[in-house]
Amino acid sequence: MVEQVITSLFVFGLLFTLLFAVAFVQNWAPWTLGATLGTGMSLFGIGIIAWGKYLMPRGPFVEERHELASSEAEREAFTAAIVERGGGVIKRRKFLAGLLGTGVGAFSIVSLFPWVRSLGPMPKGTLFHTDWGKGTYLVDITGRRVNVSDLTIGSLVTVFPEGLEHTDNGQAVDQTVLIRVTNQDFTTRKGRETWAPQGYVAYSKLCTHLGCPVGLYEQELELLVCPCHQSMFNVTNGATPTFGPAPRPLPQLPLMVDASGYLQSQSDFHEPVGPGFWERS
Amino acid sequence: MKLRHTPLLLIASALIAGPLVLFAEAASAGTSATPAISYQTSRINSGTPNSTNVTKDPVTGAITSYGDSAITYNVPSPALDALGQSLYLQNCASCHGTEANGVPADGTQGAYPNLQGLGAATIDFWIASGRMPAADPRSVQAERKVPRLTDQQAVAISAWVNSLAPSYPAIPSVNVKDGNYSNGQALFALNCAACHTIEGAGDALAFDTYAPSLRHIPGYQIVEAIRSGPGNMPRFTGNLSDAQVRDIVKYVTTYVQHPQNPGGLGLGGLGPVAEGFVALLIGVGLLALAGYWVGERE
Amino acid sequence: MSTINTTRKSNPYGKVGQVINELDDRLGIAKGGRTLLDKVFPDHWSFMLGEIALYSFVVLLITGIFLTLFYVPSSTLVVYHGAYLPLVGQKISQAYASSVDLSFAVRGGLLMRQMHHWACDIFVGGILVHMARVFFTGAFRKPREGNWTIGTTLLVLSIAEGFLGYSLPDDLVSGTGIRIAYSIIESIPLVGTYIAFFLFGGNFPGTVILGRFFIIHVLLIPLVLLGLVGAHLFMLVQQKHTQFPGKGRTENNVVGTPMYPVFMAKTTGFLFIVGGAIALLGAFAQINPIWQFGFYEPARISYAVQPDFYMGFLDGILRIWPAWQFNAFGHTIPLEVTLPTVVFPGILFGLVYAWPAIERKYTGDNELHNLLDRPSFRPKRTAVGVTMFVFLATIFVGSSTDVIANFFKVSLNTVLVEMRVLTFVLPALAYPITLKICKEMQGFSGAGKRKTTNIVTRTEEGEYVATPAPVYVDDVHDELEALPVPTFVVEQDETLISTGVRRAER
Repeated sequence: MVEQVITSLFVFGLLFTLLFAVAFVQNWAPWTLGATLGTGMSLFGIGIIAWGKYLMPRGPFVEERHELASSEAEREAFTAAIVERGGGVIKRRKFLAGLLGTGVGAFSIVSLFPWVRSLGPMPKGTLFHTDWGKGTYLVDITGRRVNVSDLTIGSLVTVFPEGLEHTDNGQAVDQTVLIRVTNQDFTTRKGRETWAPQGYVAYSKLCTHLGCPVGLYEQELELLVCPCHQSMFNVTNGATPTFGPAPRPLPQLPLMVDASGYLQSQSDFHEPVGPGFWERS
Repeated sequence: MKLRHTPLLLIASALIAGPLVLFAEAASAGTSATPAISYQTSRINSGTPNSTNVTKDPVTGAITSYGDSAITYNVPSPALDALGQSLYLQNCASCHGTEANGVPADGTQGAYPNLQGLGAATIDFWIASGRMPAADPRSVQAERKVPRLTDQQAVAISAWVNSLAPSYPAIPSVNVKDGNYSNGQALFALNCAACHTIEGAGDALAFDTYAPSLRHIPGYQIVEAIRSGPGNMPRFTGNLSDAQVRDIVKYVTTYVQHPQNPGGLGLGGLGPVAEGFVALLIGVGLLALAGYWVGERE
Repeated sequence: MSTINTTRKSNPYGKVGQVINELDDRLGIAKGGRTLLDKVFPDHWSFMLGEIALYSFVVLLITGIFLTLFYVPSSTLVVYHGAYLPLVGQKISQAYASSVDLSFAVRGGLLMRQMHHWACDIFVGGILVHMARVFFTGAFRKPREGNWTIGTTLLVLSIAEGFLGYSLPDDLVSGTGIRIAYSIIESIPLVGTYIAFFLFGGNFPGTVILGRFFIIHVLLIPLVLLGLVGAHLFMLVQQKHTQFPGKGRTENNVVGTPMYPVFMAKTTGFLFIVGGAIALLGAFAQINPIWQFGFYEPARISYAVQPDFYMGFLDGILRIWPAWQFNAFGHTIPLEVTLPTVVFPGILFGLVYAWPAIERKYTGDNELHNLLDRPSFRPKRTAVGVTMFVFLATIFVGSSTDVIANFFKVSLNTVLVEMRVLTFVLPALAYPITLKICKEMQGFSGAGKRKTTNIVTRTEEGEYVATPAPVYVDDVHDELEALPVPTFVVEQDETLISTGVRRAER
């Protein structure tokens, strides 16, 4: 009975394997490849196990464990060889041994230098500064400059320094979220009276927790929520975190409006953007 | 009440007030009766009558439709006003007031939004998607459910409400023929995925708000939502042109709502969470069961 | 020393015998080989869990090699012109383009990709259940502490390997994970920015990281994994497998099935079953649909993004950790990052590594153990294990706060606060409950063992008599006859200290 079952398992296993070949050659849908291969393999597997479990000698069998540890004499001989042979050699030439030790130690340290230092540059530059400067125009992802008459209250757009919207740095470091919270000049915090002309506030899009883009804006709550770990920032008071793991507010970009109504940055952010690190502040 | 009861009273009131603070916080994050906002953008072809094609009524001179080749916005016909007003009074006036200004009959101004000046598309969106009439007016975010009114009734109500303070956006109809999938995917990933997820599954947002799933929404309602910014959703006016919105609609109504899923079952589009469950419960689980058969019990 | 025999009797087993003769002439395989064929493996089903991990590793290697023949580990941008329309015309990295082409343009490519990813999840899952079995039965005790260390290292490496692997296609979801990983490295006090800049060749994202991830994922870690798995299995063969106590089983023997032919049949069959299960999953359950996610651009983000499950506990603890930071003397230590992702895993894995030593210290037990414990017979150890599992599971659930809030229609903020509370409450409850259950099971004889069926017969007088039935019809477990596997003949040389080494005569 078991033999018959195993026979049919092997036969069907073979059939499915051949069907896999057909599916592959005929370029059938992807799922058929996996289905035929998987079924064939599983049937083979079940058959082989059934053979091993039901048709082969059941046992159980016993094997004695040998003593893992070597005999006392063997241990002694081994230890003696290491200690006395080696120790004897070194004892007579302690100075040489010390020198060798120092050399090997130094070698293992300095040989690591290329593995560490050559891999990349020292941390500087874009960790602390972005490409925003005095008079840099805000553009969206298509490169179009943003005008004060573009957005209405409750609107947001991701902006970049002009010309850099498709560069690594422009995307990774300079990315900024521009939100219109009201129609008049707006003050988020003391000292930032000129930063939000006509109600346009701009914050770095890099979350100060772990750097995810904070693209989630709830306009009635006036809350920017980071999609990664749900830090929540209040856009009306300088993106102060009100909930979640982020401890630092999003840096605000000071804005100004040029003669034609296009938005520009007054300067770079006043603090490093993105997550915290040792040298920040 | 004696002096020594004070600590007990303090504890009791803290226990009672504490959870209320959480709920109060949530409730105050709800909708408030803001004055009507004008959807102003000077950008051409961005959902306002400042568009390449504008048709006007030959008699009254009022705009009947506007737009460009991508999206046409149709102002609902004044002929629907009467029907719209009667439907409105039956279904909406109890909360939004007989003048659709957010002042209900009991005079509690500020409890429900002022509907004037929001544009026909906004009104049509809320009703046609089933969110209004609201099942629970006190909830933070009206839930999307089976619409109680038909699409035509929704248009009629929006016609009447719009006639009180004509504004825009008007009700859109999208022509996706010339849309670009890649553009749509890029814009969707940059603007929409942060709330609605890249697979359009929707998810919970701050407090009791949430971004709804995009799986079952018709194309014109996508435009209505984008242009009117319902609830906590941002308004996309001058930051997205009609062509860009059309591209997004083309992408969403195909690849997001009908993903090809060549790899098999989509597992709900929830990503690694669902995959992990399947791997552990079904994968390792079934294999452990297989091991149970292969091995012995003792 | 035995003389080299140049004239041998012809092996009476025909062709096979001839081959073995030739091999043995050159390698001397017959002596050790015979012992190997006789090796006995205990048969309990829970010993198969490690094989789930082992065979999914085999599948990983095979499918992985296929993938390396197509994947291009480069951030250079190319314009996509393939089958998936929403990407046509977009400038995407070669890594992403080659991964999408693998999925759509290579025959069997999607199956291989999916099998590779499913096998990875099952690999880590298999390691975890195997590790749990080893922990709860005390198999890590002397002499197997080394194997425990190797196994824990395998777990850590496989988690890292999985992260690197799913980051290779450079899609939106995994790219976000790389950004988070960069920020975690950056947050390390004093040296974080240096390590991050060196590893990434500059600020995020740079252009070198995919290539570096690729070589680590395809060459460096697999080499170490192969070596460690080899060492793991070698120690297993050297020390012989542990076994549960039972009839005829002592500390000094192994009872089970011999390697050849029974165990080899079962284990080969299991290899096919594991491979088949992974293939079926790869056929019917879509995993990591990178085309749907789109390529990674640092300004893009999706909501509801989680890492694969084995990294879920890190995501969870990041979400629930309070917004602490240390900011003084011109320096910042972002405690909200460093503590949960650097310090906490360090302590966690340190505990795991040190567990055999901790248990030795605590129980004062320095004996050799070849017999396993029934978990309920070690209430404290089992309770500690269950508590740790509950703690990690709670944190893992914490990585899905948004999904939970959405599903149960509860406020997201409430869910997060609840998870903070549950992280302490649930493990605190788990410990005493497990302890109590174990202690009760100990006092209840027959608990945890298979229950025998009773055959109820009615006598003519109307009396009912119940007699226990044998476990199966031809049950050989009643009388454990030691069927010794035949030993081989070896020349006993009294002057040998150990194989081949003769004591020097002075």
